[in-house]
Amino acid sequence: MLEIRDLTVGIGGATILENVNMILPEGELHVLLGPNGSGKSSLLATIMGLPPFEIHAGEILFHGSPIRDLSLHERAKLGIGLAYQRPPSIDGVSLHSFAQALGADDQLASHANALDLSDFLDRDMNVGFSGGEIKRWEVLKLMLQDPRFLMFDEPESGVDLEHVIDVGEAIAHAVRAPDRDGRICSGLVITHTGLILNHVKADQAHIMKDGRILHSSDPQTLFAHVQTGGYTVPAA
Amino acid sequence: MDQRTDLSNEERDILHDVGFEDLSERAATAVLVDGTVRLAQSSDPDVEVMSLAEALRTYDFVQDLMFGLVEPDANEDIALIAEQRNAPLGHFVWVKPGAQVTLPVQTFTLLETPQGRQFTHDIMLIDEGASVDMISGSAVPSSVHKGRHVSIGECYMRKDASCNAVTIEHWGEGMDIVSYGYAQMDEGARSQSTAIKMAPVANDLSRSKVTMGSNTNAVSQAIIFAAAGTERVIETETHLNGPGAKSEDLARMVSAGGTIINNAHLIGNMAGTNGFLGCDGLKLTNDGAIRAVPALEAKAEGAMLSHEASVGMIDSDKLNYLMAAGIEEDAARDLIVQGFLSLENTAIPAGLRRRVVEMIAQAKSGGM
Repeated sequence: MLEIRDLTVGIGGATILENVNMILPEGELHVLLGPNGSGKSSLLATIMGLPPFEIHAGEILFHGSPIRDLSLHERAKLGIGLAYQRPPSIDGVSLHSFAQALGADDQLASHANALDLSDFLDRDMNVGFSGGEIKRWEVLKLMLQDPRFLMFDEPESGVDLEHVIDVGEAIAHAVRAPDRDGRICSGLVITHTGLILNHVKADQAHIMKDGRILHSSDPQTLFAHVQTGGYTVPAA
Repeated sequence: MDQRTDLSNEERDILHDVGFEDLSERAATAVLVDGTVRLAQSSDPDVEVMSLAEALRTYDFVQDLMFGLVEPDANEDIALIAEQRNAPLGHFVWVKPGAQVTLPVQTFTLLETPQGRQFTHDIMLIDEGASVDMISGSAVPSSVHKGRHVSIGECYMRKDASCNAVTIEHWGEGMDIVSYGYAQMDEGARSQSTAIKMAPVANDLSRSKVTMGSNTNAVSQAIIFAAAGTERVIETETHLNGPGAKSEDLARMVSAGGTIINNAHLIGNMAGTNGFLGCDGLKLTNDGAIRAVPALEAKAEGAMLSHEASVGMIDSDKLNYLMAAGIEEDAARDLIVQGFLSLENTAIPAGLRRRVVEMIAQAKSGGM
């Protein structure tokens, strides 16, 4: 579904990601582990097409087609979606208005209920939301978008334990169930705590450090290694 | 003189865009077309509507209301209206004491003559303890794009009167508009008003003055849009004259290449008064300008006055966020602009709100 080939990304003259390679097949969910500032969020933003990240070399292929020249909106329309770590607040635009603009207002109530956000439909987007509410809204936002490739930037951070289950189940459902057109989805999740792995079965994990992918392997094993050995390459 | 007493379907369609509804859905209706009050009809015995000329002949007290809040020689524009040789042109609306009017009262001004010159004087009296919703609008047919409209409005709100008013202006893109609005709020009166200026004009000068007595409450919102080629100057003056007077004056301005100058002056003349000015501007392009000048003047100890003002461009992070969700750039901008204008939080009826949303999209593309 998504293939990243020899990707080098920068901001101005500074290199942020270097020679990143990753393949995310249809139906798979991968997790991205790494210390703060390692480039994880930058990779997701680059896939989405957000400024100020510039592709200096390499390619991102979505279902075999390069996307580097596509706008944000075109990438979203192709079926790429991102749940932000720190989304902006937008005064005066309610969740309901946003869902209407997406043409998904008929989906809003049921998805909001699953994420315990039913009381938020008339609230302005991210205005006055707690950290956990923002994360739940970001997951709900992706459910309304119904993308085929879903990216989550630290979806569990700031979420209370009670709601981590909701978030995990929502992510699992969004990634594992086909989209509204019956197409198989896949996903990429950044996690610091690994808590989300208790609720979402991932297929592969990658360690990113200093803008490079250091190692890729089984998620549970790799996360156990990170907890004891840090963000390093496990011994063979 | 035009002797017709009703409106054509085309006229109704034009006015519908600025809030007109069938007479059966309104307590009273008054429509002024060019130089004539074409329609003045009330289905509520507690509401009287008629031409100002007729009101002057019918009720002695109206002559005391006319130019009661502004001197007839206050400036050249007002003198022009005051010194007209013809009978005064305008509406008179009287909501009688204690009336609790359930359906809105609607008044409209239509200028149908290209290069027309229209000078109007409207007077509204909301009597003691009365409560009413008002919808007012101004419009031209699409064929009229040049002309001049000068108006005076005098509004008297007697003790404990209440009014919720929405005003929508939709003039021609090359027109010059000058409007003077004066309001006197007696003890305990309450007012909530929303003024919407969306359609392009050449020049728009709007000057208003409100004097508020004890325990009065006024919340006013102005939604102001300036497309390229439009220059709007809005000057408001609010006098908090009685203890317990409280006002909140919010202006939300959007420039799509035009110029908006908003001078808002809040004067606390008594202890125990409370006032707030909010002036927020959003620029959609590098062209045009927004100047927000809130001024506070506390003349008595205990007058609590405050203001907030901001002017800026659309935040690219917000735009990118919406686009990354699959919303096209133009639609994302519209959503941000609508949010900025807080249409959902205004007292605008839902049907009119939808029309305003359409007007935003059209005004941005210059299609109005």
